[in-house]
Amino acid sequence: MTASPSHLDLLEAESIHIFREAAAQFRKPVMLYSIGKDSTVLLHLARKAFFPQAVPFPLLHVDTTWKFRDMIAFRDRTARELGLDLIVYTNHDGIKRGINPIDHAPSIHTDVLKTQALKQALDKYGFDAAFGGARRDEEASRAKERIFSFRAPGHRWDPRKQRPEMWNLLNGRLGTGETVRVFPMSNWTEKDVWRYILREKLDVVPLYFAAERPTIVRNGQILMQDDERLQPRDDEKVEMRKIRFRTLGDYPLTAAVESEAETIEAVVAETLNAQTSERQGRLIDHDQAGAMEKKKQEGYF
Amino acid sequence: MSVHTLHKRQPASNEAPRLEVVPNLVRDLGGITHLLTCGSVDDGKSTLIGRLLWDASDLYEDQRENVRKSGRKAAGTDLPDFSMLLDGLVAEREQGITIDIAWKYFDTPTRRFVVIDSPGHEQYTRNMASGASHADVAIVLVDARSGVKRQTKRHTAILDLVGVKHVVLAVNKMDLVGWSEDVFRKIEADFRTLCWKFNFWDATAVPLSAVFGDNVTAQSGNMPWYTGPTLIQHLEKTPSRVSEAGSVFRFPVQTVLRDGKDFRGLAGTVTSGSIKVGDEVIDTLSNASGKVVRIATMDGDIPSASAGQAVALQLDVDIDVSRGAVLSTREMLPVAAQTVEARFVWLSEDAFSPSAGYLLRTSTDLIPISNIEVKALLDLETMASRPARSCGANDIAIAKISLGRAAAIDVFTETPETGTLLLVDSVTGATMAGGIATAVSAKAEEPAEGHFVLKRDMLANGLNRDLSMSSKDREEFMRRANEVAIILRAAGIAVAIEPPPPVDDGMDPGL
Repeated sequence: MTASPSHLDLLEAESIHIFREAAAQFRKPVMLYSIGKDSTVLLHLARKAFFPQAVPFPLLHVDTTWKFRDMIAFRDRTARELGLDLIVYTNHDGIKRGINPIDHAPSIHTDVLKTQALKQALDKYGFDAAFGGARRDEEASRAKERIFSFRAPGHRWDPRKQRPEMWNLLNGRLGTGETVRVFPMSNWTEKDVWRYILREKLDVVPLYFAAERPTIVRNGQILMQDDERLQPRDDEKVEMRKIRFRTLGDYPLTAAVESEAETIEAVVAETLNAQTSERQGRLIDHDQAGAMEKKKQEGYF
Repeated sequence: MSVHTLHKRQPASNEAPRLEVVPNLVRDLGGITHLLTCGSVDDGKSTLIGRLLWDASDLYEDQRENVRKSGRKAAGTDLPDFSMLLDGLVAEREQGITIDIAWKYFDTPTRRFVVIDSPGHEQYTRNMASGASHADVAIVLVDARSGVKRQTKRHTAILDLVGVKHVVLAVNKMDLVGWSEDVFRKIEADFRTLCWKFNFWDATAVPLSAVFGDNVTAQSGNMPWYTGPTLIQHLEKTPSRVSEAGSVFRFPVQTVLRDGKDFRGLAGTVTSGSIKVGDEVIDTLSNASGKVVRIATMDGDIPSASAGQAVALQLDVDIDVSRGAVLSTREMLPVAAQTVEARFVWLSEDAFSPSAGYLLRTSTDLIPISNIEVKALLDLETMASRPARSCGANDIAIAKISLGRAAAIDVFTETPETGTLLLVDSVTGATMAGGIATAVSAKAEEPAEGHFVLKRDMLANGLNRDLSMSSKDREEFMRRANEVAIILRAAGIAVAIEPPPPVDDGMDPGL
């Protein structure tokens, strides 16, 4: 090679290395697919890692039934076009109990329809390893996360059981009942994700681009009325605004930003000039102090 | 316009941002530098990293605003407390992880920096060794008032042990010694003397003040006698490990990829050297070789691949090579090691036990150990070794290992990328120690009394009778043989696996 590799080349190679190490060492891996930009990059890296072989594990989407409709359409189209083995899992018991993000505290909704649902799905299929798109730069409590993050039986994260990682050696030998979360994008930043999407010309959910959308302002945050389940309260009204999303999740819990960025280039430029760090747009993080830390211990990513 | 000015500026308006105003950030950065900081809180470690972030990085505006608004001041000054930027990374938010390393990322206009932070408390040896194993360059921080201390000696010894090649001595708090050149030169000379006994390629001392920013990113007006680079200038020039990988070709095979038709690709990352289509590669364990006919990636086939690139190699012949093999060229083979001498940093809380079933993890192989002996412990301050039979957390142990079967291993000082090791507990899977190979030998030790040899025909007749001669099943054969050895080893039986017959004698290599 003539030119020295760029930082994205190096990050890509490291992620491929991690994917291959995990696929070779674990019996039954799965990739957690949440449809957002990080999952898009993660999936692309997985395809690169095993090319020309098909991705040798299924994708798991934990569907809370509250995702944006555009996300579900994008998910199904991606799986169809790339010929992926997609598993969609919903905690129907939680839905029957009427748990939802509008009437319940975000922490309860997330626990039942995300955290519990994920554990149920992993147990149901007997996966011993789950790939996720988490990055160390996302949040302070993730800054110490390993690439292979071990979970005790019951999916509990035990800090004393986390293994030191030296050089590029990834030890994936499991103890009895242990499972592992694998984070191939540990060393990526939010900016890298966008730069890579731009460089690799990856298709992302249209919600990342600015468009006129029906909105409700609640507690100072702009929410999108994606369907009739979200209704304005007495002092609120539905208004059209030109908005886009920096992160995607359950639509009543995901705040939009007003933006003119209609193309991937404009989104990248806007992101690179960003005034606020990414997670301020995600409401569940503000729900309680140390929220992320707690969710991690409970088994949420 | 540089990245920095852009980020310090208040975001302008509601206009669609135009891409051309941030050309620098759309492009890839010129590489990644992993930066380890060693020193205690008293030496000003957090303040120095905070200062680097403040002056040289692409911090988000809200992170800057937090520091300004907090009103926290650096001790004894009217300047913002930059160490705040490291909050959540240092000991304040202890999570109780045994080995505790925090990762922080920032970009300058030309490079990605990854700050690897490990706590400076007394149990630091294993933390630091673990963090340093990822570092391209280390900043060793000392207080100008106290200079090179015993701890500095331990720090540099650990850096050298795990293969760090570039060291910067940051002589901090120069303001407290009146910006004195004499003080700095004395410390610099002590540091030079200290570094002579190690294998560093570059050891540089920089006089600075983290609080006031002198020589961090801006040349100091207080120290006109210093004409060397600022800290950030020096760091930006420092090459990374991957760009300095040796010329000896190594390719640890991670897995075998098949497309269901005629493609069988050996997937892995080139760890050192380079390979091109047409080159002959050889597996030192089986002596099997083949010519590279295709270097495949999803972005298309490429004519050659070098250190750091993840690819899949297709050979002209279907040789019996799978995970654990290390491909090389015929001139420079890794050793098909039966015995290994190594230096280990003991990472686990559980002390060494000669009867525990340990496995040796190499680049991509996991090998049952038939015998392991601790010979000595290394004193990091004097580099002298004293005889010992056991070791525990934070010890540096010199050990001799007999392997249950041969594995491709290099001597670390010659080919570091394929000379690193982990000791793994066979029952819990825990990583007990991380180490480097100091000597490898293809000659097996004479089996001790009661040594049990797992014969291949014994395995083939019962356990493996469902397996065919296909390459996939041969991999499975080896996997089962390993697991049987591990179980026996855990039961306290010294065990070796009979090596496969050489490929060129007409016998089936897998069985």
